Amino acid sequence: MELLRSRRFIGIILILLGLIALPYWASRYWILLVLLFSLNLALSQMWNLLAGYSGLISLGQQAFIGLGGYALAVFSVYYGFPIWLSIILGGTVSVLFALLISAPIFRMRGVYFAIGTWTVAETLRILFSNWKYVGYGMGLFVKPTYALSFNTIYFTALGAGVASVALVYFLLRSKLGLGLMAIRDEETASETLGVDIFRCKLCCFLISAGVTGAVSGVMYLHHIFIQPYSAFGIDWTVQMVFITIIGGIGTIEGPIIGSFLYVFLHQWLSEYPNVSLLILGSIAIGAILIAPKGIMGTVQEKLGFEFLSPRRK
Amino acid sequence: MLSFLNELKAPITNGLLLGGLYGIIGIGLSMIFGIVRMVNLAHGDLVILASYLSLVTMTFFPISPLLTLIVVIPVMALIGFIVQYCLLNRVLGKGMNPPLLVAFGLSIILQNLLLLVFTPDARTLMTSISVKTISLGSFLNIPLVYLVDFIVSLITIALLSRFFNRTYMGKAIRAASDDEGAAQLMGINTRTIYSFAMGIATGTAAIAGVLVGMTFTFYPHTGPEYLIIAFGVVIVGGLGSLLGTFLGGLILGLAQILGAHFLGAGFQLLCGYLILLIVLTFKPTGLFAKG
Repeated sequence: MELLRSRRFIGIILILLGLIALPYWASRYWILLVLLFSLNLALSQMWNLLAGYSGLISLGQQAFIGLGGYALAVFSVYYGFPIWLSIILGGTVSVLFALLISAPIFRMRGVYFAIGTWTVAETLRILFSNWKYVGYGMGLFVKPTYALSFNTIYFTALGAGVASVALVYFLLRSKLGLGLMAIRDEETASETLGVDIFRCKLCCFLISAGVTGAVSGVMYLHHIFIQPYSAFGIDWTVQMVFITIIGGIGTIEGPIIGSFLYVFLHQWLSEYPNVSLLILGSIAIGAILIAPKGIMGTVQEKLGFEFLSPRRK
Repeated sequence: MLSFLNELKAPITNGLLLGGLYGIIGIGLSMIFGIVRMVNLAHGDLVILASYLSLVTMTFFPISPLLTLIVVIPVMALIGFIVQYCLLNRVLGKGMNPPLLVAFGLSIILQNLLLLVFTPDARTLMTSISVKTISLGSFLNIPLVYLVDFIVSLITIALLSRFFNRTYMGKAIRAASDDEGAAQLMGINTRTIYSFAMGIATGTAAIAGVLVGMTFTFYPHTGPEYLIIAFGVVIVGGLGSLLGTFLGGLILGLAQILGAHFLGAGFQLLCGYLILLIVLTFKPTGLFAKG
């Protein structure tokens, strides 16, 4: 077992080294694919943390995408802050906003929570498109990112992707993770045993908001242009849901496999832009009907194989 | 004070009439929420699908949009029945998330299907009703189409209420929603009943879609906007009563039009969302919920 784990560790290190060295041997197209993969991975891993481990189905993650992106634009363009500081501020703004809405939003459960978060995001979208300071619906250019090289953005995105996986891995092995899994298995029993359900869930909500906001900042380094209708659009969450469902909700590996498939499907279907979302939607429904636990969940169930197990052996 | 009220007369009337339309948009979502206990995230897209179906019917037969309901309601009811029977019934009873996500996938599929077939252009169901206004007394003009929306909604809700209280099917649906196990023991096939309920709900979505198409322009992607309105209506009105849903619609419509009147047109939707969030926070079961 020890041998297997050390082999696994070496495998992870090798893959990481390969990805870090990517800009020195691969074409720009492949670098772009890995960049998109990493960003999707980070975002959907955060949705997975909410939906898969905390039972919070949020349809409003785009609120933090928008806040993170606008924070980057406003702080770096209007105030001339360094880009990296602006991205971190984007994460901070997202956490603060999540804290602000957590009081009303945590009074809602299940479906109410889903629609409540979505409504919050829609409210932000309307506010931003009516707000003169951020240029109404016209949007903002993140001009300072022109100074960054493509490779810098790549390394940042890769870092974000790896960090998100590591964060969820270590989070789930901490006291918080044990509490979360206890809640998932039996909510009432875990509460009587002293798990503070509200605090556990709030913690996850804040962490996922902060990381989503910061990753969104990195993403807008790549997109350069931000506009309220797309930044606060439900499409972001649709993407996270697809990736997590297909890969396997409630598994750490799920979003990795999901993002991999998503990026390739997306590239492959980009020749048929009209039908790409149509096909993705059908695949997602098919996945829920046939393998509700997604690829990784089904593999775990059938073969007992886990690559990154949150359990302590 | 009097002049202030006088000035508000038009927005209040318009808000209430618009609220009638919102009521009919919300009623299908409310039914499925109450009976099948799932949120049909595709409801808004089904409404817009009905608008497009009406548009197609009008190109074949040059008739008024209201008359296309003869075609659109059965087609939509059939679509609803099939969707529930073949897709949603298979994921019921497997927790909250699978039905939610299947409906979400359906919503994406519908939007992109409409986009593919009808292009992203703005459409509207043209009719002479859309542009006429009628004057009530000498001081108040209201758009005729708003009045038509309100009356059609009221009639639909009255008919639905009769259906649920008088017919066997209506009673069976209520039984299945009250206690699935007991209803099955009484010889009711609850899964088929759910499919019929969904058929009726998409039938109301058909009416809502035609009214929406007559009143506003629509695009393939307007569905989610109406889903949130429908959800607002359900939340504000509370589950379990048709009348509550209708009143919820009136409150939401009033809030939006008054918001637009005081803050500017850009804030019309915002005021609706704020009302929704306030009710969700302080009384998540809705203002008019039974029990």
